[in-house]
Amino acid sequence: MRLRSFSLLLIAFVMVSLSACRDKDADDAIVEPVPTKAIVRFTPQWQGTPFAMQGVYYDNFGNRLRIDKFMHYVSSLRLIKEDNSEVILKDFYLLDFFNNNVIELEVPAGKYKKLKFDVGIPEAYNKDQDPAQYPSSSPLSVAGSQGMFWTWNTGYIFIKFEGKADTTGIEGEELLSPFAIHIGDDPLFRRYTSPIFDTDIVAGETKTFNVILHVDQLLATGGTSDIDLATDAITHTSNNLVLATTFVDNYINAVTVEQ
Amino acid sequence: MSKWLVVIAVLFIVACHSIGEWTDEKVTVRTPAGFPPIVYPKDNEPTKLRVQLGRILFYDTRLSTDHSTNCGTCHILSVAFTDGKETSSGMAGFPGMRNAPTLANIAYMPRLMMEGGVPTLETQALAPLHDTLEMGFNMMHAVHELNKDELLKSMARAAYGRDTIDPYVVTRALAAFQRTFLSGDSHYDRYRQGQLNLMTEQEVRGMNLFFSEKTKCSNCHSGIFFTDFDYHNIGLETESVDHGKERASHLAADIGKFKTPTLRNIALTAPYMHDGRFSSLEEVIAFYNNGGVPHDNKDERIQPLQLSTEEQKDLIAFLGELTDWNFVQNQQLLPLVK
Repeated sequence: MRLRSFSLLLIAFVMVSLSACRDKDADDAIVEPVPTKAIVRFTPQWQGTPFAMQGVYYDNFGNRLRIDKFMHYVSSLRLIKEDNSEVILKDFYLLDFFNNNVIELEVPAGKYKKLKFDVGIPEAYNKDQDPAQYPSSSPLSVAGSQGMFWTWNTGYIFIKFEGKADTTGIEGEELLSPFAIHIGDDPLFRRYTSPIFDTDIVAGETKTFNVILHVDQLLATGGTSDIDLATDAITHTSNNLVLATTFVDNYINAVTVEQ
Repeated sequence: MSKWLVVIAVLFIVACHSIGEWTDEKVTVRTPAGFPPIVYPKDNEPTKLRVQLGRILFYDTRLSTDHSTNCGTCHILSVAFTDGKETSSGMAGFPGMRNAPTLANIAYMPRLMMEGGVPTLETQALAPLHDTLEMGFNMMHAVHELNKDELLKSMARAAYGRDTIDPYVVTRALAAFQRTFLSGDSHYDRYRQGQLNLMTEQEVRGMNLFFSEKTKCSNCHSGIFFTDFDYHNIGLETESVDHGKERASHLAADIGKFKTPTLRNIALTAPYMHDGRFSSLEEVIAFYNNGGVPHDNKDERIQPLQLSTEEQKDLIAFLGELTDWNFVQNQQLLPLVK
């Protein structure tokens, strides 16, 4: 009889314990809400189709080209709320279209109307700065910048766009002509502002913004800003300021944002 | 009991030394007579270990891709930290772009490189390291190699409080060592301090010519460092191959302008000009005597000098008196003997 009573007590204890555990789990779910997030994905396209690393493309001049490196600094990536307040997603980000192109961060829920970012490094952080002063986790550090700063001069390289092209127009020729567009210096700092949108980021949900860069439009604008890699393919900014300026201006006009 | 405490203390000290623990101390770098005090960056005041670590790194070939090149390859003490070549060769014999400048009194240089693009000695250290024509490396590869060296790591820890050798340590240590490259003990300096017998009549004539309105040499090669730290186009060529300061400023008015080099130890630092085009001081003086060639940006003070052959010799004799023999034989600036 005693044994039976003890067994019943034990069963009751286990059941109470289990039910207590379930209650605790439920409580935890309440105190840890699902985060509200924004994802910004930078995506390159060529004439409306996904752009592939090592892919070979024809530009408007008939040059065949392959892009081997395409990196640039994004600063002050931010979403603009309906009341014009700004939510900074990243102060500095070294965007590599082929390796590092997605930013995911928690944001306040609410209505948003614009996305903005700057191409390059703002003046206060650019000239006469020492990359060695930053921790290696910073995109401005020696390690984090991955060579995106001038060493014989001062300042960061805002954009690196490199590859090889065949400019002979002969089908089957090897891609032998290098192109290297390295852009830096304060006057070439540029700001992109998206057209106005009406986006409600609901609490607990994730909203994705696809920032699409139309790579073909960097070279072909259908106007006076066309870049023919057969005749104008190299700039380290100072040695060919016209090409550097044209390229960065084309960039700002080659961006669209989709959701 | 006390005997055991002594034993434990001794064991502790031995253990500390065996894992390379160091104590560091601030040092006062004595500047030559008449030199202004050196302004040090707040995070890189000179200490014994910082200077010694910089000395090791300055001569460390692990900073180059193929372990063939170090700073001392192109900056040799016996020729006032130049290398005697028209343009310096980097790793694997790659021809460099410019003549190696002297590092004498580099602590006082307000901006580095011939176009003045680099603001500090610390940041300048990145330039040759990353130059594919010089050391052809990447700082991150270099620190990876250096971090295999426990002795260096322990020095870095004591000198800069960093657990590993990182770009911060390398750039600071190299700068700390270079700021000890002080040269101000030439016959000319001693002559100014009253030892009048140290310069011959010819050298004094040359000195007077140098500081005269006739030559205007000292307009640009001015002050205690024989440089105005400014940039000038002296009319070397009508079309500048190397654009000099314009590379950094992007201003057409700066094409062909280069930083005025110091003339201290100039007799040891041939060949001359940014591209080493003149092999001797005789050629340099002959160039200035002819007044250079036209260029839109040419400094108007560069005009034919009408110097006689004797006057040219006098000038060269004076320039030879700017050599600081104690500096170029200073054992403290040579590699540490292992």
